[in-house]
Amino acid sequence: MHDVLYAVAVLCAISGALAALLLVAEHFLADYGECTIDVNQGERRFTVTGGGDLLSNLGEQKLFLPSACGGRGSCGLCKCRILAGGGPVLPTELPYLTEDEQARDVRLACQVKVKRDLEVQVPQELLSVREFTATVERIEDLTHDIKLFRFALDGDERIRFRAGQYVQLVVPPYDEVREETFRAYSIASPPSDDGAVDLVIRLVPNGIVTTYCFEHLREGDTARLTGPFGEFRLHESDRECLFIAGGSGLAPFRSMVLDMIEHENTRKATFYFGAVEEKDLYYVDFFSKLAAEHDWFSYVPALSGAAEGHGYETGLVTEVVGRHYESLDNHEAYLCGSPGMIDACIKVLADKGLDDERVFYDKFS
Amino acid sequence: MRQRPDLERVEERMRPGELTLHGFLGMDDRALADVLEADERAVRALGRTHAQFAERLAELTDAGRDILEREREVEGRYKVKVRDDRGRLPCPFGDGLFAKGDTVLRDPRTGTRLRWNALTVHLVRIHGFYGGRGSDYRLEPATLAEVLDLGSAPEAAPGPGRSA
Repeated sequence: MHDVLYAVAVLCAISGALAALLLVAEHFLADYGECTIDVNQGERRFTVTGGGDLLSNLGEQKLFLPSACGGRGSCGLCKCRILAGGGPVLPTELPYLTEDEQARDVRLACQVKVKRDLEVQVPQELLSVREFTATVERIEDLTHDIKLFRFALDGDERIRFRAGQYVQLVVPPYDEVREETFRAYSIASPPSDDGAVDLVIRLVPNGIVTTYCFEHLREGDTARLTGPFGEFRLHESDRECLFIAGGSGLAPFRSMVLDMIEHENTRKATFYFGAVEEKDLYYVDFFSKLAAEHDWFSYVPALSGAAEGHGYETGLVTEVVGRHYESLDNHEAYLCGSPGMIDACIKVLADKGLDDERVFYDKFS
Repeated sequence: MRQRPDLERVEERMRPGELTLHGFLGMDDRALADVLEADERAVRALGRTHAQFAERLAELTDAGRDILEREREVEGRYKVKVRDDRGRLPCPFGDGLFAKGDTVLRDPRTGTRLRWNALTVHLVRIHGFYGGRGSDYRLEPATLAEVLDLGSAPEAAPGPGRSA
């Protein structure tokens, strides 16, 4: 009996010693010490404790890469180039990287572990991306499934952006959502209104962020935003602008038109907004008033699903645009909406002679 | 059926609040491996392949697409409404991002309503995953076969093939 107990005790002691040895080994072997992260060849440089992932480390230094999955390696948005120290590409990254990107050392920041000094290259504009805390100042129903959310930035915070850019709204864990979630929304307010951000959000069935906004977010609540992001903006030229949108794609054009007014623009611009029925239209009075006040601006709301006689143009927005122009050889077009709408617009614009280099769009994908 | 560790990770990502609000498994309390296995058997019994179902779903989405998201009649039978939403959904198996937006099909002949999106089509085609029972996007293979006119093939088709 004593022999059995003795054997068990020895076995337990050996197991315990081995477990302790493993813990000690892990502590020392996984200790990467301090590592330096160099961003854009010295524009930003900081020292971090090794072992964490690059996306989190950049975020802690207030350098925000786009991400929709909170660093779980499932959205593929946090791409950056790792010029040195990144190690081999992981299998978890491969689905999100093209061969060309792999050849250019593009990686997913959330999958790169900081184990040694890193040289990182990110798009220059991301260096000016910041995180803001804000208070929900106003929530306004625009249609049956679209709302305006106005976020007043806390304290003396100001956001510098170009009309057409977007921010990411950060939603905290709620109900069964266990981690923060981010989604991108175009800014609907003009750059001069830099103490607040207006977002036009359409409810997405089962959407984590839009469900939170529509069912949980209330006026007076605190929210977090990061931004600005994006390349969609008005280009310098004298050509007449066509703005074409549907649904929540109106947002960047609200910002652009208000910005043009503030800069005493004289360049001609027409905003075509397509909807199915009158209940899907919003900001009609707002844009009609701007059109009445400014000779250079025209506003054309169009309904596809209603009979004539309601005062709006009828037909698909592409058909309406097609009816208005014989030729578009001295125009530029700016499009924001669903992939289907944008593809259809590009075809109509090309048929009217508009070179695709003068078509700019913010596709919902 | 014993579940491989890689499927455990996929099942984690399919839970509510991970990638979508309600998740992919609905009220199904079976392990993901069992869900896949059962649907694989059902599809085989129908003499069809996952790719055939996926092709048909994608075809109906294309035919029903309308730039203002109106419901359209397709093939003189179905009422199809395709909605586009901003953003992309990651596949829980970790092999791609897919445009958000739903296709809703009504079949007046059978009274059936089906709902899917680009990710659903991918999950059916590549992974043989048709959603958990009670999930918003569950596509019962037998129902699909009936509604989409993909009843039993004259001869048993080759195995669906799945890369989970």
